[in-house]
Amino acid sequence: METIIDRTKWFFHPVLVFIFSILALALSLILYIHWYVEVSTGFREVVTIHNLDPGQFLESETWVVILVLSILVGMILVGILIIFIYSQKIQQLYRMQYNFINNFTHELKTPVTSLKLYLETFMKYELNRRDQIKYLGYMVQDVERLSENINRILNLAKIESKSYGGELVESNLVAAVERFIKDHSRLLKNCEINVHNPSGLNFPYHVNESLFDMLLMNLLINALKYNESEKPKIDITFELLKSKLHIRFADNGIGIEKREIKKIFKKFYQTGRVDDMTAQGSGLGLHLVRSVARLHHGKVVAQSKGKGRGSEFTLTFPYKTWAWIGL
Amino acid sequence: MKHSAKKRILVVEDERHIAEGLELNLSLKGYDVTIAPDGVAGLQKWKEWQPDLIVLDIMLPGMDGLSVLQNIRLEDDRIPILILSAKSDTEDKVKGLSCGVDDYITKPFDLDEFLLRVERLLTRASWARAEGYLSKAVLSSQPRTYAFGDNRIDFETSTAYCKCGEIRLTDQEVKLLRLFIARRGKPLARDEILQIGWGYTGEMTTRTVDNFIVRFRKYFEDNPKKPAFFKSIRSIGYLFDH
Repeated sequence: METIIDRTKWFFHPVLVFIFSILALALSLILYIHWYVEVSTGFREVVTIHNLDPGQFLESETWVVILVLSILVGMILVGILIIFIYSQKIQQLYRMQYNFINNFTHELKTPVTSLKLYLETFMKYELNRRDQIKYLGYMVQDVERLSENINRILNLAKIESKSYGGELVESNLVAAVERFIKDHSRLLKNCEINVHNPSGLNFPYHVNESLFDMLLMNLLINALKYNESEKPKIDITFELLKSKLHIRFADNGIGIEKREIKKIFKKFYQTGRVDDMTAQGSGLGLHLVRSVARLHHGKVVAQSKGKGRGSEFTLTFPYKTWAWIGL
Repeated sequence: MKHSAKKRILVVEDERHIAEGLELNLSLKGYDVTIAPDGVAGLQKWKEWQPDLIVLDIMLPGMDGLSVLQNIRLEDDRIPILILSAKSDTEDKVKGLSCGVDDYITKPFDLDEFLLRVERLLTRASWARAEGYLSKAVLSSQPRTYAFGDNRIDFETSTAYCKCGEIRLTDQEVKLLRLFIARRGKPLARDEILQIGWGYTGEMTTRTVDNFIVRFRKYFEDNPKKPAFFKSIRSIGYLFDH
């Protein structure tokens, strides 16, 4: 993308094209008016020569014509502006997608490389059983990583095409979170996770279980992945505030910089820069979290005290207690 | 002379599975292998352990592989370095080769091909060592002396001859001068200078770089206020113009 733009001539640059077209339009408006006034003066002379009543068709028409011209030119201007903004947006999205593909290829290539490496090693050498088991374990992990990535892409496509939604079932949220942690204890084994539920309520809610699991997976894996402390810790708190259910995921990880806090939910957004190769992640995880939250009529916000001081993701769902406990 | 006949290979790779797989295969081939999980650790191991060959990944956390490569090349132009990267565009390969890498293999790679290339690189390096006449300085593409304006730098003795006479240069000064000369005419960002010249990453203060530039200007510029060689580029960094 970058190189394509570099190679095109400077006068094709969209900003310049935009400025030139505005200038041309403004100039043409001035010329229209100028000529119109000239022509109507000539006309006026004709009128006086022939002794006609000038008030009948001169004064009012001049101003109407100028007004109509101005409005039309104004509309064209607005149109150009909208097209300009739109094209900039598309360009930005294109660049992000390009970055995403770059990075996602890396995410896919890494487990494939590892798998191929071990398979070729196994073909080449007869390893002892203990080593075999160890490396087979690596291969299983690589396959899991691969299928996780593939699932993420497929899920994104499904959510975006809105083919999800009708599959909501009533589920107890606190229990769902606890079950998830138990089911994935191997993945989360280095991490201390505490679930706090001071109200003691169960919080039943209509959810799509597989999507909700994916949301939890993304939030918890992020909390672990972007964590440099010796003992990663995640506190999950359920709270009912003003008929809204808040589920807070607070970690002791590397935190988020202020200027990134809103952007991280954007599709394809990655922290770090691509050109110096510090970009991390697929740029999909948190976008999926937000999409899933929205699908459940909720939203998600991030908070952080700054870099290195942990981050906190809060899911909010509309929640009327009386509707659920049957009051 | 190395202590053992075993050749040492440093693997700089952040993906644990791949790093261990490489270690396994290279050890089975009879090499002595060490793994570094990121760029900074890689540089440290390179200095301490003095490997015979380095296998380098490009996408590393913190300091990336190309910076590691450039940092090493400023001091050692001979050690064979092989890039093993998922980036397969010609552009990326050219970038690596222009930074002085000896070989470039893309992931996923073929195990036998990788092992043969490693073997070949090591063989060639050992020839160069055996034919002792190829001294480090001759083989190095870095110039032994460099002259600009009324200044001359002798890299072998780390001495600069300039308007204020003869100056003994520190190792860090020599390294930075090499970097500026290697990249003459091209702007260098402060972070880049820090990463390549010092091997630092992240929150390091860029004032350090500025201080060195002030010193260079005092040594080499006729008028340090209006530099002709070590020019500032606003909001980017510096440019060695010669």
